Amino acid sequence: MKGVLTWTTATGHKHIGVLYMVTALIFLGIGGLLADVLRTQLAQPQLAVVQPHLFNQIFTLHGTTMIFLAIAPFAFGLANYLIPLQIGAPDMAFPRLNAFTYWLFLLGGLTVFSGLLTEGGAASAGWTAYAPLSSVRVSAGFGQDLWALGLIMTGISGILTAVNFLTTVFIYRAPGMQMWRMPVFTWEMVATSLLIMMAFPPLTAALALLLIDRRMGGHFFDPSAGGSAVLYQHLFWFFGHPEVYVMILPYFGVVTEIVATFSRKPVFGYVGLVLAGFAIAGLSMGVWAHHMFTTGAVNNPFFSALSFLIAVPTGIKYFNWIGTMWGGSIELATPMLFILGFLFNFLIGGITGVMVASPPIDFHVEDSYFLVSHFHYTLGGGSLFAVLAAVFFYFPKVYGVRLREGMGKLAFALSFVGFNLTFAPMFFLGIMGMPRRVATYPPLPGWGPLNLAATCGAAMLTLAFLSILANIAISLRKPIPAGDNPWDGYTLECGTSSPPPEFNFHHLPPIRSERPVFDANHPELSGS
Amino acid sequence: MPDGATQQAHRLHDVWVIFLWCGAFVYAVTAGLIAWSVLRWPRRNASHYPKQFSENKRIEIIYTVLPLLMVIGLFVVTDRAEQYVEMLSPRPALTVNVTGFRWSWRFDYPNNGVSIQGTPANPPQLTLPLGATTRIILTSADVNHAFWIPAFLFKRDAIPGVVNQFDLTPDKVGITRGACAEFCGLDHAFMTFTVNVLPPDRFANWLRTAHRTAFLETERR
Repeated sequence: MKGVLTWTTATGHKHIGVLYMVTALIFLGIGGLLADVLRTQLAQPQLAVVQPHLFNQIFTLHGTTMIFLAIAPFAFGLANYLIPLQIGAPDMAFPRLNAFTYWLFLLGGLTVFSGLLTEGGAASAGWTAYAPLSSVRVSAGFGQDLWALGLIMTGISGILTAVNFLTTVFIYRAPGMQMWRMPVFTWEMVATSLLIMMAFPPLTAALALLLIDRRMGGHFFDPSAGGSAVLYQHLFWFFGHPEVYVMILPYFGVVTEIVATFSRKPVFGYVGLVLAGFAIAGLSMGVWAHHMFTTGAVNNPFFSALSFLIAVPTGIKYFNWIGTMWGGSIELATPMLFILGFLFNFLIGGITGVMVASPPIDFHVEDSYFLVSHFHYTLGGGSLFAVLAAVFFYFPKVYGVRLREGMGKLAFALSFVGFNLTFAPMFFLGIMGMPRRVATYPPLPGWGPLNLAATCGAAMLTLAFLSILANIAISLRKPIPAGDNPWDGYTLECGTSSPPPEFNFHHLPPIRSERPVFDANHPELSGS
Repeated sequence: MPDGATQQAHRLHDVWVIFLWCGAFVYAVTAGLIAWSVLRWPRRNASHYPKQFSENKRIEIIYTVLPLLMVIGLFVVTDRAEQYVEMLSPRPALTVNVTGFRWSWRFDYPNNGVSIQGTPANPPQLTLPLGATTRIILTSADVNHAFWIPAFLFKRDAIPGVVNQFDLTPDKVGITRGACAEFCGLDHAFMTFTVNVLPPDRFANWLRTAHRTAFLETERR
């Protein structure tokens, strides 16, 4: 009992980081299982594995879980673990606030899921919960209220986390760790934190207004009483689009670290790469209405132009990663394989992203399976692959134990093939006219086989996830020691033991570039 | 990518073709460079460290400016097509009021005394004349819906309290499917309809018959 108490009250950044990451991975598993139910229902036309009301709850929970409880929180966990190590600090700036944000996030997640216990079930208006569908007249159950309350909690948790990250980075850097010597992952978390502080409060506001409409007789989003249904979409997407980048910028950082480490080269254009991250963050604040082209309320070329422009800094990142690999010594270990998967998948997500940012194309595929496929290529094929890369890359540092390479490569093969088998057919389904969020569909030519292929892919992804769990279990039971620097990395966390001691460093190497550990280990090669 | 079945859709289709070719080109170049790097420089020797080079102003400027020029070009294509598709004819040949509701559609021909309403089990049919411009005036009676005709490569949201207008000029006869694209609750999947494009003379016939049926029904009541 005392053990549990110490465990729940501990405030060390590594402890909190691991709590975040493990919780996010559990939510990821739950979100994945929910997706399996959806794919089972859609495997063939006119199946009724679950009733439409349950189906609607399941896809609402799937989206909410993946976005608010899995992909973003895993990044927060990784950042909690890594930022102090990467900048040579003993802990985060506000350790108790840090613990508070974790428990608030967990409580928020459980609050969303507690809707399942109410009469009428969990929220069922989609993760976007557009008004008036989410109004009390149409969605009367308490599940919708619990959903909004839960997301207000995770939102506040995110804002406080961002404050903590920024303070830590600005104030707690070790001597010699100038801003322009920080690892790219830490830089991306600075951009992400700024984005969170700008984008999360509007969500809290939108959800609060929704709750006032629902339970206190408000009419903000009620057109029959002078409110506006479109206003909800503006508020939601003013948060929702930056949120997309909250879920990708940290992983751009992960990609950069892993590509450079396994190529044994410095980042090709460090300053350009970091600035590109800030350009993406800045532009992403001005593109929310590209989610609303079909509303007819935003026929303004501004949103399309700004959305296209995001392709430029994203391209800078890609060419930087290619430049980093160019002429390197590339080792295809499991983390690097997952990153290659990221590069190929996210490229498709990015290109189709430019397509759907063009209203003439969006008019056809908005809210179709084409769109579902597009954003899964960014958040699944992109962010999720980087999550898995990070699991394999940082596990040895966190636990001092290597994961099994053979099983890791198997997991990569299964997830890369499985992912593309799931989502590539959806592009065609969307173009052929299949709307998203349908509980079933008619037996039109081609729809059955394409959906069946997607369901088979989902099964492969499930196997991949299970093989990673088995890998972790086997590796912990029969440990292979990782050593202090398992991947021959170059950032500060590679210069301490695995796992790191309580306050991270017994002594720090001199910091004279963005690769202090590389400089210390290979003085003959380093330029400085 | 199928060509569309309205005059507006042909312009939309042109945009699709341009974007798909550009996308394929960008994918081939980028993925090709990634694959090349991995295949060309594998680690053959565990103790091998390559030359530690980074930064090249010229290359960095090239890979910033070229994509920028490309998206500017794509924006021009986008903007022109959007202007064309959003253009409203000063004198449409026909006006149809489309109302989405949970979970079907109502099509009113206000100048012709015709009204057609469907149910989830019995989806309604929207009949349109070939080669003439029809003004669709779209709204919703309850929650957000979206009026999507995949063969026309076009949809627009039906939002309560908002009236959206657009023109359709079909140029292929035949029956095609339509569906609600914006999630609207329990029977969203069954909120479908069909579109029947008829040559002008047959359309006029259909309109007369539909009007007479509607008139007789009113009399009966």
